[in-house]
Amino acid sequence: MTPAILALNLGLSFAALVALCLSLNRHHAEIFGTKPSGRRVVLLRVLGWGGLVLCLLVAGEAEGWGFGPVQWVGAVSGAGAGLVLLLSYRPRLVAPAGVAAVGLAMTAGLLLHVA
Amino acid sequence: MATRARPTSLRERASVASRVVLAAGGGYGIAALATALLSLTLPLARPEAVAVATLVSFLLMPAIAVAVFAMRSLRRAALSLAGVALVLGGLLGLAMRGAP
Amino acid sequence: MKGRFRTSMAWLHVWSGLVVGWVLFAIFVTGTASYYRADITRWMRPELAQAPPVAAADLPKVAERAVAYLERHASKAKTWFIGMPQPERPLLDLFWRTRPGAPPGHVLLDPRTGAEAMVRDTEGGDFLHRFHYELHIPPLWGRWIVGICAMIMLVALISGIVTHKRIFADFFTFRRDKAARRSFLDAHNVTGVLALPFHLMITYTGVVALATFYMPWGVTTAYKGDTRAFFREANWITAPRPPIGRTAPLAPLGPMIEEALATVPERLERLTVTNFGDAGATVVAMFEEPHGLAHTPTHIAFDGASGALLEIRGGDLKPAAKTISTLIGLHVAHFAEPGLRLLFFLCGVMGSAMVATGLVLWSLARLPKLDVTPSFGLRLVQALNVGSIIGLPAAVAVYFLANRLLPLGLADRGEWEIRAFFAAWIVAALIPLARPHRRAWNEMSMLVSGLCLAVVAADLAMIEAHPLRRLGEGEALFLWFDGAMLALAALFAFAARRIAQYRGPSRTDRWHEPVLAAPAERARA
Repeated sequence: MTPAILALNLGLSFAALVALCLSLNRHHAEIFGTKPSGRRVVLLRVLGWGGLVLCLLVAGEAEGWGFGPVQWVGAVSGAGAGLVLLLSYRPRLVAPAGVAAVGLAMTAGLLLHVA
Repeated sequence: MATRARPTSLRERASVASRVVLAAGGGYGIAALATALLSLTLPLARPEAVAVATLVSFLLMPAIAVAVFAMRSLRRAALSLAGVALVLGGLLGLAMRGAP
Repeated sequence: MKGRFRTSMAWLHVWSGLVVGWVLFAIFVTGTASYYRADITRWMRPELAQAPPVAAADLPKVAERAVAYLERHASKAKTWFIGMPQPERPLLDLFWRTRPGAPPGHVLLDPRTGAEAMVRDTEGGDFLHRFHYELHIPPLWGRWIVGICAMIMLVALISGIVTHKRIFADFFTFRRDKAARRSFLDAHNVTGVLALPFHLMITYTGVVALATFYMPWGVTTAYKGDTRAFFREANWITAPRPPIGRTAPLAPLGPMIEEALATVPERLERLTVTNFGDAGATVVAMFEEPHGLAHTPTHIAFDGASGALLEIRGGDLKPAAKTISTLIGLHVAHFAEPGLRLLFFLCGVMGSAMVATGLVLWSLARLPKLDVTPSFGLRLVQALNVGSIIGLPAAVAVYFLANRLLPLGLADRGEWEIRAFFAAWIVAALIPLARPHRRAWNEMSMLVSGLCLAVVAADLAMIEAHPLRRLGEGEALFLWFDGAMLALAALFAFAARRIAQYRGPSRTDRWHEPVLAAPAERARA
């Protein structure tokens, strides 16, 4: 269980949760001031659920199908807690943090690939 | 919750108390009977049967408790639980007579 | 029908949560702390921070030193438990019981000399861990109470899920600026839903960890009540061997340990020696579980008189037995490395917060109008809320503080630390009775914050080897522990500030709207 895989999991699930969060009218309005369009909602939901599934696949492949799901659930819960706090105290930072999380996940993935 | 505004009558209190007793006693009783029965009758090796039966019992218990509170009439809940317990108890008696 | 079902489930959720909430909060907090049980123990025995670990090659000799001590001091005991030196406790931990009812023997030895170790007497993290499932009352009672609370918690979780209509829509919602009740409801939902898989898992696996204690009836019918025979047949433990009644000396342990170490790659955790002095004596070596989700420690049994290897158990479990081992493994999370452990800890914190916010929510939803005296029930719940939610953290902080401040030579020092814990809890639960309710929350939070700071100060003052006093050299554990205490201090100070900022209830607020009422009820309100 390397820290890199945990970072990858956390980053990916955080980004996926940001997408799901933004697909909800209330939170989209909180951050961008408007409700999301229908097409945007679909796109965000596909990205969000897709990201969570991808995260599970990565965790399962990297850690085995015993540890993988455990780590996945832990990462999603942890990332969710972080997102809720961020959304509540610094909503403006949610979208940039989502982008940063994708960056973190990609860096961790790259490190794993190189190693 | 919904009854909070008006004072609770003795009748309501008694009904709630009986449901609590029924959920706790009935839940544990039926789970215990089911565990004993499954441990003897599951078509598995003996330790496996006991392990499966015990694991199932801890799911059965909360399920029964929730069902007792979900059912409309207390009498129906009590009768259903008594019926299930009777059937399980009868089967257990048979299984124990058959057991070496 | 659907509305009625939801109403009854809401009722069930509220009341089942309330009746077990206070005990459940204590179980959650001490259980969450137990993820760092080894670290807490190590922090509470600072003398050992610099002790070098014991090499595996020395373990056979170390075991013989333990036996030499026990032969002198506990030759009448039926069973000896020998905890071998571990990274977090590089000492021999000996435990024995001479006869039922008599106080058990317990001593720590220096593994290098076999003499009693020069280390402060403390229960360390083990006290919090045992409290988590026995509540520091007679084990039979404690375990039943904890088990009943866990079952009711499962009921509260199921009814809570059924009641919560907008799980996805409210998944991320935490409105902290709205009225107190609204933000507490949000916090309760968010902490409950975000870590829901953890809550379900930890509650169910917690009961499974003591499965045959709570639900022995399968063992009663299939094994005539012989639990050990069941454990043996499921391959978890080696066969119990009764005494023969003929005396025979115990063969030297050294060669047995060497053979065991050569057979199993994991770390040797402890030894049990049963029927010392009898020809039927047995020595069982227990190892750490192999890396994996399942909690499957390897056991190797030796014949005590001849030293011959009898059997190896713990591996190759059948599916159902393996499932139980995996569930227990998930509960104790020995497999979790630092990152994952932190996530488990965070989930535990969310569980504690879910219980705490639920309890507070009950009382907030029942606040009377300003001109009405609160009912006795409400005042009781309010007092118990402060007493448990703030009292327990205060007690834990005092427990740590006592570890640093009590004189080292004090007789029964470990027991005094525990007395300090309970004394602090009682005082912290009584003070709020004399204060206005909201003030009590505010003051007690400040108090806990101060106590956490005091722990850090006492650590710095009493430990000469503290890294901050040695320009960063030394055991990093002290830094981590003090950092965690500072974080807790900040958290409680923040909470105190928030409590002071909340508007009190006013006539215009809709304090009386039932939080969980069905839509029809809400429309009428």
